[in-house]
Amino acid sequence: MPISNDKELKAALAALTDTERRQVGTLLVQQVFDLSGDARIKGALELARRADAGNAELAVAAAGVNTARVESFTQCGRDTDWTAQAAHFVARAAQECVRPVVDLGTAWEAAMQARMARICQTLAAGEGTNNTEAEAQYRALEAFLQAKGRAS
Amino acid sequence: MSASLEKGVRVLKEMIDAPIASYLNSCVHCGICAEACLFYTETGDPKYTPIHKLEPMRRLYEQEYTLLGRLARMVGLTKPVTDAELAEWQELVYNSCTLCGRCSVVCPVGNDIVYMVRKMREGMSAAGHAPDGLKGAVTRTVKIGSPMGVKLPAVKAQMKHVEADYGIQIPLDQEGAEYLVMLSSMEIINFPEYLGAIAKIMRHAGKTWTLCSEAFEATNAGMQIGNSDLARVIVKRIVDGAEKLKVKTVISPECGHAYTALRWEGANLIGRPFTFKVQHIVEVLEELRLAGLLKTEGMETDRLTFHDPCQLARRGGVIQPQRNLMAMIAKDFHEMPDAGFMNWCCGGGGGASAIEEGEELRLEAFKRKKSQLDAVKPHRLVTACANCRIVLEEGLEHYQMNLPVVGLTETIAEHIPDPVGND
Repeated sequence: MPISNDKELKAALAALTDTERRQVGTLLVQQVFDLSGDARIKGALELARRADAGNAELAVAAAGVNTARVESFTQCGRDTDWTAQAAHFVARAAQECVRPVVDLGTAWEAAMQARMARICQTLAAGEGTNNTEAEAQYRALEAFLQAKGRAS
Repeated sequence: MSASLEKGVRVLKEMIDAPIASYLNSCVHCGICAEACLFYTETGDPKYTPIHKLEPMRRLYEQEYTLLGRLARMVGLTKPVTDAELAEWQELVYNSCTLCGRCSVVCPVGNDIVYMVRKMREGMSAAGHAPDGLKGAVTRTVKIGSPMGVKLPAVKAQMKHVEADYGIQIPLDQEGAEYLVMLSSMEIINFPEYLGAIAKIMRHAGKTWTLCSEAFEATNAGMQIGNSDLARVIVKRIVDGAEKLKVKTVISPECGHAYTALRWEGANLIGRPFTFKVQHIVEVLEELRLAGLLKTEGMETDRLTFHDPCQLARRGGVIQPQRNLMAMIAKDFHEMPDAGFMNWCCGGGGGASAIEEGEELRLEAFKRKKSQLDAVKPHRLVTACANCRIVLEEGLEHYQMNLPVVGLTETIAEHIPDPVGND
């Protein structure tokens, strides 16, 4: 069954194991990674996709992602560069994926931050609210479930 | 004398009013204000003594408005204020002053040094000696209506995102709503969760609220740079929006200077009383709590502390409400030393965080906050100002302190139960 809205997305995420939630969250962040390009985030996402990622490794990756996140804040009074701000939200999304403990909200939060990254990109392009990231996330989750041999 | 210096000196002279004259005459040179300023305490450099930051203004006062000073000027015994001097003072008046007000409250003769710094900034700004970062913010405010260049499509994009994330409609331009919710640029750009939290809390409390397409931005760059005319324009936009929508209360966001500009100075800036009430979001949450309309569930079990934004606590007098709110959700809450009225600034208020060349000094000053935090060793730091939040994050990152910083409004919202039947 295809996923066509956020209610179905949430239901599908709820049915996953914690490891799968981390992997799905990572998958959704990787879809917007081109908006960042930060090597620390790239490495963290590669780690988070692995089912055997250990807590010590995750903690190191999380520290790098946090630095990327803090560095990319738009500070008060500065001119907003929406392209750079997109990279900030990619970092925020990635941060969800390298938390030591995964729960129901992990993949959802990653999805929401990834959508914000895409929104920033559309704002930079002057398009505003034209954001199709949600659709892309539904398709990605469907593909993930299919690869696991499970219907969504 | 260059045209800009002439203008700056003229504006500075105009700024010297009765309070400033009495403050300058009252100063007993005790230096207590130095110990209250984190830029002095953390660097030990006497040039950061708050009253010293006003030296060009003091000399101008003496030369123009005192008998001895005038006589001295006539016989050439005074040192005129120069362009080079004002250029040198830029660092003291802007980079190393966050308008936190700590110096004002420790002054034994009651001098409001912040009041004087702000007047000094008016002259500095007129003389062309405001930092480029703040000048840029002002230019954007004049051209676009927002110091960070935020336009309505960005707000609408965020509204749409929050609606999807929280499953709650975000009202826009709803005439007759009880509350008009203002946002700071920072919340629009960096913290969409603030708007989501507001939506969740208002639904829970059964209150009507709205955003305004013509006045969504509360940040007041005019106040930060020292330009009352611009500060007035920004406040007037909000007043027009609030009156057009006939709201009862305007909610100032988690932004310190927006609150001071609108709540404490707004009516004076536009020259008439408001037809609505102005409250900081923390005050609104407290009011809802007292009315029994804010029912949270569950408690945070990790060790929490609260950073009081200067404009909210010291300058605005809002100290207990945030603690009452924390008590609703925090089992293990600890106060930092000097918390509340005498809390130390994050180091980035008053426009300081917009000044790129001030970053090194800001991080040096952050050592004060670090020592406050080291005394408590919290697991998370809660605050109620988006600017504080980012300045804190930068300081924590610089000093390798692994400490998440969260906003009070969204922390409260996380404890609001979802309505029955809501997915």
